[in-house]
Amino acid sequence: MNEILWLVRKTLRSTFRKKSSWLVFFGLPLIGIFVSMLIYGNLSGQTLRVGIVNADGDQALTQDAIRFIQGLDQVKVTMMDEEGLRDEIAAGKLDNGIRFGAGFAESLQAGKPADVQVLSVKGATVTSYVRAMLNDYLGNVASIAQATSGDKAAFDRLYDAYLQSSFKVSAETLEDTSSIKYMTYQSIGFLIAFMMFSSVNMTELILKEKENRTFLRLLTSPVSARTYVLSNVALNLFIMLLQIAVTLFFMKNVFHIDSGIPTGELFLVLLLFGLAAISLSLLIVAFAKTTASAGALSNLIVTPTCLLAGCYFPMDIMPDAVKRISNFLPQHWLLDTINKLQHGETFGSLYLNLAILFAFAAAFALIAIYRFGRNNDTRLFV
Amino acid sequence: MSNVLEIRNLTKKFGDFIAVDNMSLAVREGEIFGFLGANGAGKSTTINMISSLLRNTKGEIILLGKNIAKSAKFAKSNIGVVPQDLAIYEDMTAYENVSFFAGLYGLRGAQLKERTVEALEFVGLGDKHKAYPKNFSGGMKRRLNIACAIAHRPKLIIMDEPTVGIDPQSRNYILNSVRKLNDMGCTIIYTSHYMEEVEEICTRIAIVDHGKIIAEGTKEQLKAIITDTKDIWIGIKSEDEIKVEPLKQIPGVASVRVEEHMVMINSKAEVNNLNLIIQQLIRDRAEIRSVEEQAPNLETVFLTLTGRNLRD
Repeated sequence: MNEILWLVRKTLRSTFRKKSSWLVFFGLPLIGIFVSMLIYGNLSGQTLRVGIVNADGDQALTQDAIRFIQGLDQVKVTMMDEEGLRDEIAAGKLDNGIRFGAGFAESLQAGKPADVQVLSVKGATVTSYVRAMLNDYLGNVASIAQATSGDKAAFDRLYDAYLQSSFKVSAETLEDTSSIKYMTYQSIGFLIAFMMFSSVNMTELILKEKENRTFLRLLTSPVSARTYVLSNVALNLFIMLLQIAVTLFFMKNVFHIDSGIPTGELFLVLLLFGLAAISLSLLIVAFAKTTASAGALSNLIVTPTCLLAGCYFPMDIMPDAVKRISNFLPQHWLLDTINKLQHGETFGSLYLNLAILFAFAAAFALIAIYRFGRNNDTRLFV
Repeated sequence: MSNVLEIRNLTKKFGDFIAVDNMSLAVREGEIFGFLGANGAGKSTTINMISSLLRNTKGEIILLGKNIAKSAKFAKSNIGVVPQDLAIYEDMTAYENVSFFAGLYGLRGAQLKERTVEALEFVGLGDKHKAYPKNFSGGMKRRLNIACAIAHRPKLIIMDEPTVGIDPQSRNYILNSVRKLNDMGCTIIYTSHYMEEVEEICTRIAIVDHGKIIAEGTKEQLKAIITDTKDIWIGIKSEDEIKVEPLKQIPGVASVRVEEHMVMINSKAEVNNLNLIIQQLIRDRAEIRSVEEQAPNLETVFLTLTGRNLRD
């Protein structure tokens, strides 16, 4: 144990003496969070800019419909003429435009509301919300008109009652957490990739020591090859602990991203994945003979698998074939665990995910140990 | 004197290839033991087995009375290895290098500090303790390489070609350091391609060839093996005209080497062939400057016993 600590201390000192190491191990995951915030930070709380052209004059029903739109959350309404509406939509100053044609109120009162034109150059993503809300409102008013069958007094009475009742609806505002979830998911995705790269970096030190011949000198001291590899694993695990702790701390306290998962649980899952990452890097080093080949192997393995597992892009946009392939990747099982925890599943119920992650770690480690054990040449191998 | 190291019937096979073949030898306390052999003779494999870097196929290695196969930690704690290739960290200062390696032997605190400073002073790098090896000359790096192996005060130091590729001044410094370490009670196993170094500092020498020890003893004992030969050194103005083959045809001549302004001939001692050699050189139009007949040196011994030069 003493020897392991001595080796860990030395490597920690020489690693973190370089300023670049701080950036690689702790700076890059934070940059990952920042990028996630840039991508997903604008998904919620965005205000829709809506221009309205009223060609139906002072009709009460039309005015009420306009007021309804003005009352919608996160919608900013500007009244304008037809030409101004077209210009502003084309210039991108408005997200969409609504045109109430002449006779709209009359058609509504008759129970057959004329089509309301909803215009946009940005597509359904920005028009659907206003269109859905407006259709719902107009549908209700048209139903009243149909029920009163042209009886204006009855229509006015029921319509007034409808307007009044709408103010009595008790509304409870729920926070839209989807963007936060995406942000957490993607931040963790970037963290996974950086954890894997930094793990390979640390394990590559074994090869570097072989290239520098210091490895042989270490083995002539009372340190055994097993102790040396264990010290590397311990160091790797320690750096990963710090990496996870720093990233989660910044996510929560600096970037104010609430992952929706208790920090302890998130930490544990990430640490379990860390074991898989360390085992994988041992496997890479066991098969590579030089740092250059280990670097090439890690690039060949880490980047594509992170891509396939959804570390850089959400899995939802991936084709089914890719989703199936990702089942064979540890990164997928970590992200899946996080996703399920975010959707309210308990930690205990995810034992299968956790067991799969552990199995990946064990399988990689066993293959690496087998490979190390088969290497009989002291100049090259452990 | 008791034996610090005993090797009994040591064998190492790599597949069908026998690198070390039933080797036995003993290194006594206080010796500087020279280990001579051409490349591939088996000396590095032997040293790797003594240093616990390789497992032997057969035989035993006894260090300070204990079998190293059963007491690897004890053995490693009592050995200091100066590897042929520099094995130091370029990104750590000289002090940190020595301190780190000494720490691997369990030294800590004030003792570690004291031994680190002592080792650096010993190799003449006391004033460079804060400097990084990347700024060192080849000789200074070699000296640091030695300091890293001696700070824990091992009983046996194995030096594998410690003077390769350095300037004469650093070489002298290192050779003096070896002598000083020996005076301080360290037993040393010394391998080198430089025969004159071995001849200068080693108290006993073993010559290894094809995985076997073919001769062992003091310099005098080894030279006495080949009393039937003599060396004739002939100084010449230019070696361009010298034809080696006719010289080899002269009765008694065993080998001919031509180096800078010198023809070195090894010949049977009982054959008087000097006049024939001189005549041949005159026929080659060589301008002879000196003629010297010498008793055989270690180089000749090695050549005679192994049939090849040490640097082959």
